[in-house]
Amino acid sequence: MFLIFALITLVGALLMFRLKNLITAGLSLVLCFIGIAGLFLLLGNPVAAALQIIVYSGAIVVLVLFVIMLLASHEEEKPEKPRGIQRWGSAVTVSALGVGAIWIVKNSKILASPTTPNVDPMTLNRLGASLFREHLVGFEIAGLLLLAAMIAAVSLVKREL
Amino acid sequence: MDQLSALLHMSPATLWMAFKVVLVFAGPLTLAALMTWVERRGSAMIQDRIGPNRAALFGKWRLMGLPQLAADGIKAFMKEDLVPPHAHKFLFWLTPILAFLPAALGFAVIPFGQSFQSGGQTYHLSLLDPGNGMGMLYPLAIGATAVYGVLVAAWSSNNKWAILGGMRASAQMVSYELGMSLAVISIFMTTGGYDPHQIIAAQHGMWNVGPQFVGFLVFFTCMFAETNRLPFDFAEGESEIVAGYFTEFGSMKFALMYLSEFIHLVTASALIVTLYFGGWRVPFVANPGVLLSVAAFLGKTLFFCWVFVWVRWTLPRFRYDQLMKMGWKVMLPLSLANFLFHAFLMFRRG
Amino acid sequence: MAVIVKQVELSWLDRTYFWPIFKGMVITMRHFLRQITTRTKDRYTVQYPDMKREMPEGYRGLHELKRFEDGAIKCVACFMCAEACPARCITIQAEEFSDLNLTQGFEEKRPAIFKIDMLRCIYCGYCEEACPKDAIWLRKDYDLAAYDRLSMQFGKWDLMNTYADADQKDRITMDPSPSTQTKAGLE
Repeated sequence: MFLIFALITLVGALLMFRLKNLITAGLSLVLCFIGIAGLFLLLGNPVAAALQIIVYSGAIVVLVLFVIMLLASHEEEKPEKPRGIQRWGSAVTVSALGVGAIWIVKNSKILASPTTPNVDPMTLNRLGASLFREHLVGFEIAGLLLLAAMIAAVSLVKREL
Repeated sequence: MDQLSALLHMSPATLWMAFKVVLVFAGPLTLAALMTWVERRGSAMIQDRIGPNRAALFGKWRLMGLPQLAADGIKAFMKEDLVPPHAHKFLFWLTPILAFLPAALGFAVIPFGQSFQSGGQTYHLSLLDPGNGMGMLYPLAIGATAVYGVLVAAWSSNNKWAILGGMRASAQMVSYELGMSLAVISIFMTTGGYDPHQIIAAQHGMWNVGPQFVGFLVFFTCMFAETNRLPFDFAEGESEIVAGYFTEFGSMKFALMYLSEFIHLVTASALIVTLYFGGWRVPFVANPGVLLSVAAFLGKTLFFCWVFVWVRWTLPRFRYDQLMKMGWKVMLPLSLANFLFHAFLMFRRG
Repeated sequence: MAVIVKQVELSWLDRTYFWPIFKGMVITMRHFLRQITTRTKDRYTVQYPDMKREMPEGYRGLHELKRFEDGAIKCVACFMCAEACPARCITIQAEEFSDLNLTQGFEEKRPAIFKIDMLRCIYCGYCEEACPKDAIWLRKDYDLAAYDRLSMQFGKWDLMNTYADADQKDRITMDPSPSTQTKAGLE
């Protein structure tokens, strides 16, 4: 089960990078998100899975695709000349991140003593409680940030306010 | 149940699950096929016409035009499967599946009858048992992915009308999703849970439509927008954009997409019934039992399916800017007000 | 020409939008219930091959060549109809016959061939008006259709029998008296 979803995620992500057509790349991003939602489900967190699909694949990618379609740049973009520093920089970053992730997983305590931790799935009630009790400040800051971003976007788009 | 499962060498749970899968898949599909018939005959009756009544089984039994469904199906299979020359072949082929899957999946979480006990085991009449953690988020998530059927159909057919229609339809679906979600959230709030079984259990004595009438109106209107039906059917427009994102689709591809719209309709009615009209509850009967509860659910769902048809043949369509104005300036604030009002009520009650 | 559009002042009830929708839905429901409870034959729609509409008086449909009681054709082959026909769809060939019988006591003319090309006919009724003997009528039959062009050429006997069933008359395929030419040929 894990392999299936992991494969879906990986294939989606790789396709998104490799496809030159923007729309198909966006759709493979959706595939990737759906795979991630499946992984969330396997982790016993159906709420995150549902929100992943509602928010990311249901709203954000739709808007991205929308913009791509509206701009009507259906022609494949010409690749810029790859610069050496970009190439090497990205390779180093990716490998550093990968090594770091593997290191973290290797050294994690749960892996040392593999037991099945909490089996009861995440519920919306628990999520809400933790969001508004333990992470209230972070939640409010995120909300404020989004509000500011929204106002900025409106003021950018609308010339005569 | 136990005897049957012993006969088939299966555990009762597996057998029940298989049974439910078949039922949940075939039920809405059958209802949707029937709805195409209801739509055509019903609209005819509303307009003082008669509607399709000439297709006959073996040239003999007309059955009020019901064989027309079979005739349409056969026709759709026999027609040439045309792919326009500059379409994106793979996505064009994928589109009917993308349209059909969310429609067919959406029903999975809705309880269509009262749970019953047999042989010391509880059987739930919904594909996903309660306590799965997804609850009513599941149909919302599935409904959110339904946009892709529209978008991909629009883009892959490489047609101006298709892309205009797809843009309109998907923009409308995305904008109305907000109002809808807020209406659903206020139901979660008053119920104190988001599992459909819980929601139905909480509607004991009083259906949600009473205290949440505004929410119901918002949700109902948004459902029209989500299913792309009149008065919000901007996906198509004969005089402007032909058949919208359907334009290039023919034969069984079209039939699948058309059918999936009707499955959406059935699912939307079932959602309305579950959220606001007590699901399988029968008025003045505390424990209706399996048969009566399923009948009640089916009756209510069919009634709302009919209301969808009824409204379609009553109202003229909006203008597109009116639609957007209504979505953002009426439905969203109304939904938000409803939410805040109920939050305030709950706060006062403590 | 300017038309002043009357602006209707909407009451607050109408402005809620839901009440007018409700009223409209009541109207459509009324139509639905009325139509569904009406019997098929009382509905507006005429279900064509099963039901046929009764045409009004003066309708100009398929022609009939009238006959006398003994089955003799009324037409005297005067060619007036063929002359009057704007579509030139009537072909007549005359013949003579002389046989003393009830209706026609002396040497007479009658059509040996009387053909109307129904594909060309425009059902104007001029032939009916031109006929001095009242022998050709345009009547109420209107569903003329055939699988080939040839069967739309109506001959003399076809035209005499077009309404035989409707009027409960016998179909005739023979003149009661033979033509003089044939007689001469026989002798």
